[in-house]
Amino acid sequence: MTEYTVAELMAVSLAREIKDGDRVLQGLYSPLPMMACLLAKNFHAPNMVYFNTADTIDPQPKEVPFSTAGPALQERAVAYIPLWQTFDLAQRGDLDLIFLGAAQVDKYGNTNLSVIGPYEKPKVRLPGGAASAHLCALMETVIWVPRHNARVLVEKVDFVTGQGHLPGGRDRKEAGIPKGGPRKVVTNLCVMDFEPETKAMRLVSLHPGVTLDEVKENTGFELIIPERVETTEPPGKEHLEFMREIDPKGVRELEFH
Amino acid sequence: MEEKVFTLKEAVSRFINDGDVVAVGGVGRNRSPMALVREIVRQGKKNLHIVGREKGMDFDMLIGAGCARKVSFALVSLEEFGLAMNFRRKAQAGEIELDEHACDSVITSLRAAAMGLPFLPVRGMFGSDVYRVSKSLTEITCPFTGEKLAAVKAIKPHVTIIHAHQADKYGNVRIQGSPFEDILKAWAAQRTIVTVEEIIDHEEIRKNPHLTTIPYIYITAVIHQPKGAWPASCDRYYDSDREEVRAYAQAIKTPEGFQEYLEERVLNRRD
Repeated sequence: MTEYTVAELMAVSLAREIKDGDRVLQGLYSPLPMMACLLAKNFHAPNMVYFNTADTIDPQPKEVPFSTAGPALQERAVAYIPLWQTFDLAQRGDLDLIFLGAAQVDKYGNTNLSVIGPYEKPKVRLPGGAASAHLCALMETVIWVPRHNARVLVEKVDFVTGQGHLPGGRDRKEAGIPKGGPRKVVTNLCVMDFEPETKAMRLVSLHPGVTLDEVKENTGFELIIPERVETTEPPGKEHLEFMREIDPKGVRELEFH
Repeated sequence: MEEKVFTLKEAVSRFINDGDVVAVGGVGRNRSPMALVREIVRQGKKNLHIVGREKGMDFDMLIGAGCARKVSFALVSLEEFGLAMNFRRKAQAGEIELDEHACDSVITSLRAAAMGLPFLPVRGMFGSDVYRVSKSLTEITCPFTGEKLAAVKAIKPHVTIIHAHQADKYGNVRIQGSPFEDILKAWAAQRTIVTVEEIIDHEEIRKNPHLTTIPYIYITAVIHQPKGAWPASCDRYYDSDREEVRAYAQAIKTPEGFQEYLEERVLNRRD
Protein backbone atom coordinates (compact mmCIF):
# COMPACT_ATOMS: atom_id res chain seq x y z
CA MET A 1 0.00 0.00 0.00
CA THR A 2 1.19 3.53 -0.74
CA GLU A 3 2.24 5.58 2.29
CA TYR A 4 0.36 8.82 2.87
CA THR A 5 0.11 11.48 5.59
CA VAL A 6 -3.02 12.41 7.52
CA ALA A 7 -2.94 15.81 5.72
CA GLU A 8 -3.11 14.00 2.40
CA LEU A 9 -5.95 11.80 3.60
CA MET A 10 -7.85 14.88 4.82
CA ALA A 11 -7.24 16.77 1.55
CA VAL A 12 -8.69 13.87 -0.44
CA SER A 13 -11.63 13.52 1.97
CA LEU A 14 -12.42 17.24 1.58
CA ALA A 15 -12.09 16.97 -2.20
CA ARG A 16 -14.74 14.20 -2.23
CA GLU A 17 -17.25 16.72 -0.87
CA ILE A 18 -16.97 18.74 -4.08
CA LYS A 19 -19.43 17.62 -6.73
CA ASP A 20 -18.88 18.21 -10.43
CA GLY A 21 -20.31 21.63 -11.28
CA ASP A 22 -20.11 22.99 -7.71
CA ARG A 23 -18.98 26.57 -7.24
CA VAL A 24 -16.53 26.47 -4.34
CA LEU A 25 -14.71 29.24 -2.46
CA GLN A 26 -11.39 28.65 -0.70
CA GLY A 27 -10.45 31.16 1.99
CA LEU A 28 -7.33 32.55 3.64
CA TYR A 29 -5.00 30.22 5.57
CA SER A 30 -6.74 27.26 3.95
CA PRO A 31 -4.02 24.92 2.67
CA LEU A 32 -6.20 21.78 2.79
CA PRO A 33 -9.21 23.37 1.05
CA MET A 34 -6.81 24.71 -1.60
CA MET A 35 -5.49 21.18 -2.19
CA ALA A 36 -9.07 19.82 -2.16
CA CYS A 37 -10.21 22.27 -4.85
CA LEU A 38 -7.22 21.53 -7.06
CA LEU A 39 -7.65 17.78 -6.58
CA ALA A 40 -11.37 17.89 -7.35
CA LYS A 41 -10.88 19.98 -10.47
CA ASN A 42 -8.07 17.74 -11.70
CA PHE A 43 -9.83 14.43 -11.04
CA HIS A 44 -13.52 13.85 -10.39
CA ALA A 45 -15.04 17.34 -10.79
CA PRO A 46 -13.58 19.04 -13.89
CA ASN A 47 -16.59 21.35 -14.10
CA MET A 48 -16.38 22.67 -10.56
CA VAL A 49 -15.58 26.39 -10.38
CA TYR A 50 -12.71 27.27 -8.09
CA PHE A 51 -12.90 30.71 -6.41
CA ASN A 52 -10.23 31.77 -3.91
CA THR A 53 -8.83 34.60 -1.77
CA ALA A 54 -6.30 35.55 -4.44
CA ASP A 55 -9.41 36.77 -6.27
CA THR A 56 -9.11 34.45 -9.24
CA ILE A 57 -11.22 31.83 -11.02
CA ASP A 58 -9.86 28.39 -11.85
CA PRO A 59 -6.10 28.94 -11.40
CA GLN A 60 -3.67 26.16 -12.28
CA PRO A 61 -0.61 26.88 -10.13
CA LYS A 62 2.57 25.03 -10.99
CA GLU A 63 3.41 25.13 -7.29
CA VAL A 64 0.89 26.08 -4.56
CA PRO A 65 1.66 29.14 -2.39
CA PHE A 66 2.11 29.19 1.40
CA SER A 67 -0.27 32.15 1.74
CA THR A 68 -3.52 30.96 0.19
CA ALA A 69 -4.10 34.48 -1.18
CA GLY A 70 -0.56 34.40 -2.64
CA PRO A 71 0.48 35.27 -6.19
CA ALA A 72 0.79 31.64 -7.34
CA LEU A 73 -3.01 31.35 -7.22
CA GLN A 74 -3.11 33.71 -10.21
CA GLU A 75 -1.19 31.34 -12.50
CA ARG A 76 -3.18 30.25 -15.53
CA ALA A 77 -6.42 31.56 -14.01
CA VAL A 78 -9.15 32.61 -16.43
CA ALA A 79 -10.01 35.90 -14.71
CA TYR A 80 -9.75 38.03 -11.61
CA ILE A 81 -12.87 38.40 -9.51
CA PRO A 82 -12.79 40.58 -6.41
CA LEU A 83 -14.01 38.63 -3.41
CA TRP A 84 -16.93 41.01 -2.91
CA GLN A 85 -18.26 39.90 -6.29
CA THR A 86 -17.96 36.26 -5.23
CA PHE A 87 -19.95 37.20 -2.12
CA ASP A 88 -22.57 38.78 -4.38
CA LEU A 89 -22.88 35.38 -6.08
CA ALA A 90 -23.27 33.76 -2.66
CA GLN A 91 -26.00 36.20 -1.71
CA ARG A 92 -27.89 35.36 -4.93
CA GLY A 93 -27.62 31.65 -4.12
CA ASP A 94 -25.01 30.99 -6.80
CA LEU A 95 -22.16 29.69 -4.64
CA ASP A 96 -22.39 26.08 -3.45
CA LEU A 97 -19.75 25.28 -0.87
CA ILE A 98 -17.12 26.69 1.44
CA PHE A 99 -14.66 25.02 3.77
CA LEU A 100 -14.38 26.32 7.33
CA GLY A 101 -11.68 26.09 9.94
CA ALA A 102 -12.42 26.80 13.61
CA ALA A 103 -10.96 26.93 17.10
CA GLN A 104 -14.14 25.31 18.45
CA VAL A 105 -16.82 23.24 16.72
CA ASP A 106 -19.87 22.10 18.66
CA LYS A 107 -22.15 19.13 18.19
CA TYR A 108 -24.48 21.12 15.91
CA GLY A 109 -21.62 22.31 13.73
CA ASN A 110 -21.55 25.88 15.03
CA THR A 111 -18.01 27.25 14.77
CA ASN A 112 -16.07 29.75 16.86
CA LEU A 113 -13.11 31.79 15.69
CA SER A 114 -13.80 34.88 17.82
CA VAL A 115 -13.28 34.40 21.57
CA ILE A 116 -12.75 31.86 24.31
CA GLY A 117 -14.61 33.12 27.36
CA PRO A 118 -17.04 36.07 27.48
CA TYR A 119 -17.04 38.35 24.42
CA GLU A 120 -16.41 41.64 26.23
CA LYS A 121 -13.69 40.26 28.46
CA PRO A 122 -12.26 37.28 26.58
CA LYS A 123 -9.81 34.82 28.03
CA VAL A 124 -8.44 34.37 24.53
CA ARG A 125 -9.10 36.71 21.64
CA LEU A 126 -9.02 34.60 18.46
CA PRO A 127 -8.39 35.96 14.92
CA GLY A 128 -12.03 36.33 13.86
CA GLY A 129 -14.17 34.20 11.59
CA ALA A 130 -13.35 35.82 8.22
CA ALA A 131 -16.30 35.21 5.88
CA SER A 132 -18.14 32.72 8.08
CA ALA A 133 -20.94 34.79 9.72
CA HIS A 134 -22.12 35.79 6.25
CA LEU A 135 -21.50 32.68 4.15
CA CYS A 136 -22.55 30.05 6.72
CA ALA A 137 -26.02 31.60 6.57
CA LEU A 138 -26.24 31.16 2.82
CA MET A 139 -24.83 27.80 1.79
CA GLU A 140 -23.53 24.38 2.74
CA THR A 141 -20.24 24.18 4.57
CA VAL A 142 -17.64 21.52 5.26
CA ILE A 143 -15.57 21.98 8.41
CA TRP A 144 -11.99 20.77 8.66
CA VAL A 145 -10.25 20.08 11.98
CA PRO A 146 -6.55 19.18 11.91
CA ARG A 147 -6.51 18.46 15.67
CA HIS A 148 -9.50 16.44 16.79
CA ASN A 149 -9.62 16.80 20.59
CA ALA A 150 -12.12 17.66 23.30
CA ARG A 151 -11.05 21.31 23.42
CA VAL A 152 -11.92 21.78 19.76
CA LEU A 153 -14.93 19.45 19.48
CA VAL A 154 -17.05 20.90 22.31
CA GLU A 155 -20.63 20.52 23.56
CA LYS A 156 -21.33 24.23 22.97
CA VAL A 157 -19.13 26.90 21.41
CA ASP A 158 -18.33 29.96 23.54
CA PHE A 159 -19.40 32.20 20.65
CA VAL A 160 -21.19 31.37 17.40
CA THR A 161 -19.02 33.00 14.73
CA GLY A 162 -20.19 30.71 11.92
CA GLN A 163 -23.76 29.44 12.05
CA GLY A 164 -24.03 25.67 12.11
CA HIS A 165 -27.39 24.10 12.82
CA LEU A 166 -27.61 26.51 15.83
CA PRO A 167 -29.16 24.69 18.82
CA GLY A 168 -30.29 21.98 16.38
CA GLY A 169 -33.47 20.72 14.73
CA ARG A 170 -35.34 23.46 12.84
CA ASP A 171 -33.49 26.35 14.39
CA ARG A 172 -31.85 27.69 11.23
CA LYS A 173 -35.28 28.21 9.73
CA GLU A 174 -36.42 30.08 12.83
CA ALA A 175 -33.32 32.27 12.75
CA GLY A 176 -34.19 33.30 9.19
CA ILE A 177 -31.42 31.33 7.45
CA PRO A 178 -33.27 28.35 6.00
CA LYS A 179 -30.73 27.34 3.34
CA GLY A 180 -27.53 25.38 3.75
CA GLY A 181 -25.72 24.50 6.94
CA PRO A 182 -22.81 22.24 7.79
CA ARG A 183 -22.74 19.02 5.84
CA LYS A 184 -19.60 17.24 6.98
CA VAL A 185 -16.77 17.56 9.47
CA VAL A 186 -13.43 16.09 8.39
CA THR A 187 -10.82 15.72 11.14
CA ASN A 188 -7.46 14.04 11.52
CA LEU A 189 -9.30 11.04 13.02
CA CYS A 190 -12.58 10.63 11.17
CA VAL A 191 -15.37 11.98 8.97
CA MET A 192 -18.69 13.03 10.53
CA ASP A 193 -22.04 14.30 9.27
CA PHE A 194 -25.26 15.46 10.96
CA GLU A 195 -28.25 13.29 11.85
CA PRO A 196 -31.14 14.65 9.70
CA GLU A 197 -33.76 15.07 12.49
CA THR A 198 -31.79 16.39 15.46
CA LYS A 199 -28.95 17.89 13.37
CA ALA A 200 -26.48 16.51 15.90
CA MET A 201 -23.05 15.33 14.77
CA ARG A 202 -22.76 11.69 13.77
CA LEU A 203 -19.79 9.52 12.91
CA VAL A 204 -19.54 8.39 9.28
CA SER A 205 -16.11 6.83 8.88
CA LEU A 206 -12.93 6.26 10.88
CA HIS A 207 -9.62 6.92 9.18
CA PRO A 208 -7.55 3.75 8.67
CA GLY A 209 -5.92 2.72 11.96
CA VAL A 210 -8.11 4.96 14.16
CA THR A 211 -10.32 3.29 16.79
CA LEU A 212 -13.81 4.24 17.87
CA ASP A 213 -12.59 4.73 21.45
CA GLU A 214 -9.96 7.19 20.26
CA VAL A 215 -12.65 9.32 18.59
CA LYS A 216 -14.97 9.13 21.62
CA GLU A 217 -12.18 10.09 24.02
CA ASN A 218 -11.23 13.07 21.93
CA THR A 219 -14.75 14.42 21.44
CA GLY A 220 -16.21 16.75 24.06
CA PHE A 221 -19.82 15.65 23.55
CA GLU A 222 -21.71 12.46 22.91
CA LEU A 223 -21.25 11.70 19.25
CA ILE A 224 -23.97 9.71 17.49
CA ILE A 225 -22.51 6.35 16.48
CA PRO A 226 -24.42 4.65 13.67
CA GLU A 227 -24.77 0.87 13.45
CA ARG A 228 -22.38 0.72 10.56
CA VAL A 229 -19.17 2.73 10.69
CA GLU A 230 -17.11 2.80 7.50
CA THR A 231 -13.37 3.17 7.03
CA THR A 232 -12.35 6.36 5.22
CA GLU A 233 -11.07 5.56 1.76
CA PRO A 234 -7.35 6.38 1.54
CA PRO A 235 -5.93 8.61 -1.21
CA GLY A 236 -5.15 6.88 -4.49
CA LYS A 237 -1.68 6.78 -6.00
CA GLU A 238 -2.72 9.36 -8.62
CA HIS A 239 -3.93 11.76 -5.91
CA LEU A 240 -0.68 11.47 -3.99
CA GLU A 241 1.42 12.00 -7.11
CA PHE A 242 -0.59 15.06 -8.02
CA MET A 243 -0.32 16.60 -4.54
CA ARG A 244 3.41 15.96 -4.33
CA GLU A 245 3.94 17.50 -7.73
CA ILE A 246 2.08 20.77 -7.07
CA ASP A 247 3.18 20.97 -3.44
CA PRO A 248 6.84 19.96 -3.19
CA LYS A 249 7.43 22.17 -0.12
CA GLY A 250 4.63 20.66 1.98
CA VAL A 251 2.14 23.53 2.25
CA ARG A 252 -0.52 20.88 2.95
CA GLU A 253 1.35 19.87 6.12
CA LEU A 254 1.39 23.42 7.60
CA GLU A 255 -1.34 22.75 10.14
CA PHE A 256 0.22 19.54 11.38
CA HIS A 257 3.62 20.70 12.68
CA MET B 1 -4.26 67.16 -13.64
CA GLU B 2 -1.84 68.10 -10.94
CA GLU B 3 1.38 66.30 -10.10
CA LYS B 4 1.16 64.50 -6.78
CA VAL B 5 4.43 62.71 -6.22
CA PHE B 6 5.51 62.90 -2.57
CA THR B 7 8.03 61.23 -0.32
CA LEU B 8 6.74 58.67 2.14
CA LYS B 9 7.43 61.04 5.00
CA GLU B 10 5.67 64.03 3.43
CA ALA B 11 2.59 62.06 2.39
CA VAL B 12 2.01 60.48 5.80
CA SER B 13 2.67 63.73 7.59
CA ARG B 14 0.36 65.81 5.36
CA PHE B 15 -2.49 63.44 4.66
CA ILE B 16 -2.92 61.23 7.74
CA ASN B 17 -4.17 62.89 10.91
CA ASP B 18 -4.52 61.53 14.42
CA GLY B 19 -8.02 60.09 14.83
CA ASP B 20 -8.55 59.37 11.13
CA VAL B 21 -10.46 56.38 9.79
CA VAL B 22 -7.83 54.56 7.70
CA ALA B 23 -8.68 51.77 5.24
CA VAL B 24 -5.66 49.53 4.61
CA GLY B 25 -5.16 47.69 1.30
CA GLY B 26 -4.10 44.12 0.61
CA VAL B 27 -5.11 40.76 2.08
CA GLY B 28 -3.20 38.62 4.55
CA ARG B 29 0.42 39.29 3.62
CA ASN B 30 -0.26 40.15 0.01
CA ARG B 31 0.17 43.66 -1.39
CA SER B 32 -0.12 45.15 2.10
CA PRO B 33 1.13 48.78 2.17
CA MET B 34 3.86 47.97 4.67
CA ALA B 35 6.17 50.94 3.94
CA LEU B 36 3.24 53.27 4.69
CA VAL B 37 2.40 51.30 7.82
CA ARG B 38 6.01 51.60 9.06
CA GLU B 39 6.01 55.33 8.33
CA ILE B 40 2.77 55.78 10.29
CA VAL B 41 4.47 54.00 13.20
CA ARG B 42 7.60 56.19 12.89
CA GLN B 43 5.51 59.34 12.93
CA GLY B 44 3.61 58.07 15.97
CA LYS B 45 0.11 58.67 14.62
CA LYS B 46 -2.55 58.09 17.28
CA ASN B 47 -6.18 57.03 17.72
CA LEU B 48 -6.59 55.71 14.20
CA HIS B 49 -9.63 53.61 13.32
CA ILE B 50 -8.21 50.99 10.96
CA VAL B 51 -10.42 49.13 8.51
CA GLY B 52 -9.78 45.98 6.50
CA ARG B 53 -11.06 42.51 5.77
CA GLU B 54 -8.45 39.81 6.42
CA LYS B 55 -5.38 41.51 7.80
CA GLY B 56 -2.03 40.41 9.18
CA MET B 57 1.23 42.04 10.15
CA ASP B 58 0.01 45.49 8.99
CA PHE B 59 -2.83 45.64 11.53
CA ASP B 60 -0.86 43.88 14.23
CA MET B 61 1.98 46.41 13.96
CA LEU B 62 -0.32 49.46 13.99
CA ILE B 63 -2.11 48.04 17.03
CA GLY B 64 1.07 47.05 18.87
CA ALA B 65 2.73 50.41 18.24
CA GLY B 66 -0.26 52.20 19.78
CA CYS B 67 -1.39 53.88 16.55
CA ALA B 68 -4.85 52.28 16.44
CA ARG B 69 -7.72 52.82 18.84
CA LYS B 70 -10.46 51.01 16.91
CA VAL B 71 -10.35 48.07 14.50
CA SER B 72 -13.00 47.09 11.93
CA PHE B 73 -12.07 43.61 10.72
CA ALA B 74 -13.16 40.10 9.82
CA LEU B 75 -9.86 38.43 10.67
CA VAL B 76 -6.42 39.44 11.97
CA SER B 77 -3.89 36.62 11.73
CA LEU B 78 -0.36 35.80 10.62
CA GLU B 79 -1.69 32.78 8.71
CA GLU B 80 0.69 29.81 9.19
CA PHE B 81 2.83 31.85 11.61
CA GLY B 82 0.02 31.96 14.14
CA LEU B 83 -1.88 34.52 16.15
CA ALA B 84 -1.40 38.26 15.75
CA MET B 85 -0.24 38.66 19.35
CA ASN B 86 -0.42 42.46 19.62
CA PHE B 87 -4.02 42.33 18.42
CA ARG B 88 -4.72 39.54 20.89
CA ARG B 89 -3.07 41.21 23.89
CA LYS B 90 -4.63 44.63 23.33
CA ALA B 91 -8.07 43.13 22.66
CA GLN B 92 -7.89 41.01 25.81
CA ALA B 93 -6.79 44.02 27.85
CA GLY B 94 -9.66 46.09 26.44
CA GLU B 95 -7.19 48.63 25.05
CA ILE B 96 -8.66 48.66 21.54
CA GLU B 97 -12.27 48.86 20.43
CA LEU B 98 -13.28 45.99 18.18
CA ASP B 99 -15.83 46.28 15.39
CA GLU B 100 -15.97 42.62 14.37
CA HIS B 101 -17.45 41.75 11.00
CA ALA B 102 -17.77 39.04 8.41
CA CYS B 103 -15.65 39.67 5.31
CA ASP B 104 -18.69 40.65 3.32
CA SER B 105 -20.10 43.06 5.88
CA VAL B 106 -16.87 45.03 6.30
CA ILE B 107 -16.54 45.26 2.52
CA THR B 108 -20.19 46.30 2.27
CA SER B 109 -19.58 49.10 4.77
CA LEU B 110 -17.00 50.46 2.30
CA ARG B 111 -19.25 49.89 -0.70
CA ALA B 112 -21.92 51.99 1.04
CA ALA B 113 -19.37 54.78 1.58
CA ALA B 114 -18.25 54.57 -2.06
CA MET B 115 -21.89 54.92 -3.14
CA GLY B 116 -22.46 57.87 -0.83
CA LEU B 117 -25.05 55.93 1.18
CA PRO B 118 -25.43 55.63 4.97
CA PHE B 119 -25.88 51.83 4.84
CA LEU B 120 -26.44 48.87 2.56
CA PRO B 121 -28.36 45.66 3.20
CA VAL B 122 -26.81 42.18 3.16
CA ARG B 123 -28.42 38.77 3.25
CA GLY B 124 -27.02 36.34 5.84
CA MET B 125 -25.50 37.21 9.24
CA PHE B 126 -28.59 36.16 11.27
CA GLY B 127 -27.97 33.52 13.90
CA SER B 128 -24.32 34.50 14.28
CA ASP B 129 -23.13 36.11 17.51
CA VAL B 130 -21.08 38.46 15.31
CA TYR B 131 -24.42 39.94 14.28
CA ARG B 132 -25.78 39.86 17.85
CA VAL B 133 -22.91 41.85 19.41
CA SER B 134 -22.32 44.24 16.49
CA LYS B 135 -23.11 47.94 16.69
CA SER B 136 -22.61 48.21 12.92
CA LEU B 137 -25.33 45.74 11.92
CA THR B 138 -29.07 45.82 12.54
CA GLU B 139 -32.20 44.23 11.11
CA ILE B 140 -34.26 45.94 8.43
CA THR B 141 -37.25 44.83 6.42
CA CYS B 142 -37.25 45.21 2.66
CA PRO B 143 -40.03 47.73 1.83
CA PHE B 144 -40.84 45.85 -1.37
CA THR B 145 -40.68 42.16 -0.48
CA GLY B 146 -40.85 42.14 3.32
CA GLU B 147 -37.64 40.10 3.51
CA LYS B 148 -35.60 40.60 6.66
CA LEU B 149 -32.05 41.69 5.92
CA ALA B 150 -29.07 42.97 7.89
CA ALA B 151 -28.29 46.66 7.38
CA VAL B 152 -24.56 47.41 7.43
CA LYS B 153 -23.52 50.89 8.53
CA ALA B 154 -21.21 52.74 6.11
CA ILE B 155 -17.58 53.24 7.12
CA LYS B 156 -16.21 56.39 5.47
CA PRO B 157 -12.43 56.37 5.50
CA HIS B 158 -10.70 59.72 5.79
CA VAL B 159 -7.80 58.07 4.07
CA THR B 160 -7.05 54.82 2.25
CA ILE B 161 -3.50 53.49 2.01
CA ILE B 162 -2.57 50.97 -0.68
CA HIS B 163 0.44 49.57 -2.46
CA ALA B 164 0.14 49.12 -6.23
CA HIS B 165 2.29 48.17 -9.17
CA GLN B 166 2.45 51.34 -11.25
CA ALA B 167 1.18 54.90 -11.49
CA ASP B 168 2.00 58.05 -13.39
CA LYS B 169 2.89 61.27 -11.59
CA TYR B 170 -0.75 62.35 -11.63
CA GLY B 171 -1.96 59.27 -9.77
CA ASN B 172 -3.41 57.13 -12.53
CA VAL B 173 -2.85 53.76 -10.89
CA ARG B 174 -2.42 50.27 -12.30
CA ILE B 175 -3.06 47.28 -10.09
CA GLN B 176 -1.86 44.39 -12.19
CA GLY B 177 -2.92 41.35 -10.20
CA SER B 178 -5.36 40.37 -7.46
CA PRO B 179 -7.45 43.48 -6.89
CA PHE B 180 -8.61 42.67 -3.35
CA GLU B 181 -10.78 45.61 -2.13
CA ASP B 182 -8.15 48.21 -2.93
CA ILE B 183 -10.08 49.92 -5.73
CA LEU B 184 -13.23 50.01 -3.61
CA LYS B 185 -11.26 51.43 -0.69
CA ALA B 186 -9.98 54.24 -2.90
CA TRP B 187 -13.53 54.96 -4.11
CA ALA B 188 -14.79 55.08 -0.51
CA ALA B 189 -12.16 57.42 0.97
CA GLN B 190 -11.76 61.19 1.07
CA ARG B 191 -8.03 60.80 0.35
CA THR B 192 -5.97 57.90 -0.99
CA ILE B 193 -2.22 57.46 -0.65
CA VAL B 194 -0.58 54.93 -2.95
CA THR B 195 2.96 53.59 -2.95
CA VAL B 196 4.03 52.05 -6.26
CA GLU B 197 6.77 49.79 -7.51
CA GLU B 198 7.24 52.00 -10.58
CA ILE B 199 6.30 55.47 -11.75
CA ILE B 200 5.51 55.26 -15.43
CA ASP B 201 5.24 57.83 -18.15
CA HIS B 202 1.91 59.61 -18.51
CA GLU B 203 1.90 58.81 -22.24
CA GLU B 204 1.93 55.12 -21.33
CA ILE B 205 -1.32 55.67 -19.39
CA ARG B 206 -2.82 57.52 -22.38
CA LYS B 207 -1.87 54.67 -24.73
CA ASN B 208 -3.49 51.97 -22.59
CA PRO B 209 -6.36 53.46 -20.57
CA HIS B 210 -7.89 50.00 -20.15
CA LEU B 211 -5.01 49.19 -17.81
CA THR B 212 -5.78 52.03 -15.39
CA THR B 213 -7.56 50.52 -12.39
CA ILE B 214 -7.83 53.69 -10.25
CA PRO B 215 -7.96 57.05 -12.09
CA TYR B 216 -6.27 60.16 -10.69
CA ILE B 217 -9.53 61.65 -9.40
CA TYR B 218 -9.38 59.27 -6.42
CA ILE B 219 -5.68 59.67 -5.64
CA THR B 220 -4.14 62.24 -3.30
CA ALA B 221 -0.50 61.18 -3.23
CA VAL B 222 1.78 58.88 -5.21
CA ILE B 223 5.02 57.62 -3.68
CA HIS B 224 7.70 55.81 -5.63
CA GLN B 225 8.45 52.97 -3.22
CA PRO B 226 9.96 49.82 -4.73
CA LYS B 227 9.38 46.88 -2.36
CA GLY B 228 6.75 48.99 -0.62
CA ALA B 229 4.77 45.87 0.31
CA TRP B 230 7.72 44.01 1.85
CA PRO B 231 7.59 41.62 3.67
CA ALA B 232 4.18 41.11 2.07
CA SER B 233 4.07 39.98 -1.55
CA CYS B 234 3.55 42.16 -4.58
CA ASP B 235 2.37 39.93 -7.40
CA ARG B 236 4.56 40.01 -10.53
CA TYR B 237 7.36 41.70 -8.53
CA TYR B 238 8.09 39.54 -5.44
CA ASP B 239 6.56 36.91 -3.17
CA SER B 240 6.16 37.40 0.59
CA ASP B 241 9.31 37.18 2.70
CA ARG B 242 8.43 34.28 4.97
CA GLU B 243 11.63 34.59 6.99
CA GLU B 244 10.80 38.18 7.93
CA VAL B 245 7.20 37.30 8.84
CA ARG B 246 8.51 34.39 10.90
CA ALA B 247 10.91 36.76 12.72
CA TYR B 248 8.03 39.14 13.36
CA ALA B 249 5.79 36.33 14.66
CA GLN B 250 8.60 35.28 17.00
CA ALA B 251 9.22 38.85 18.20
CA ILE B 252 5.59 39.64 19.05
CA LYS B 253 5.28 36.76 21.48
CA THR B 254 6.20 39.30 24.18
CA PRO B 255 5.68 43.09 24.31
CA GLU B 256 9.44 43.46 24.87
CA GLY B 257 10.23 41.39 21.81
CA PHE B 258 7.89 43.52 19.75
CA GLN B 259 9.49 46.72 21.07
CA GLU B 260 12.93 45.42 20.07
CA TYR B 261 11.65 44.53 16.62
CA LEU B 262 10.15 48.00 16.21
CA GLU B 263 13.33 49.74 17.25
CA GLU B 264 15.57 47.61 15.11
CA ARG B 265 13.48 47.29 11.96
CA VAL B 266 11.09 50.22 11.93
CA LEU B 267 11.97 53.18 14.14
CA ASN B 268 15.69 53.24 13.40
CA ARG B 269 15.34 52.36 9.76
CA ARG B 270 14.08 54.22 6.72
CA ASP B 271 12.02 52.83 3.90
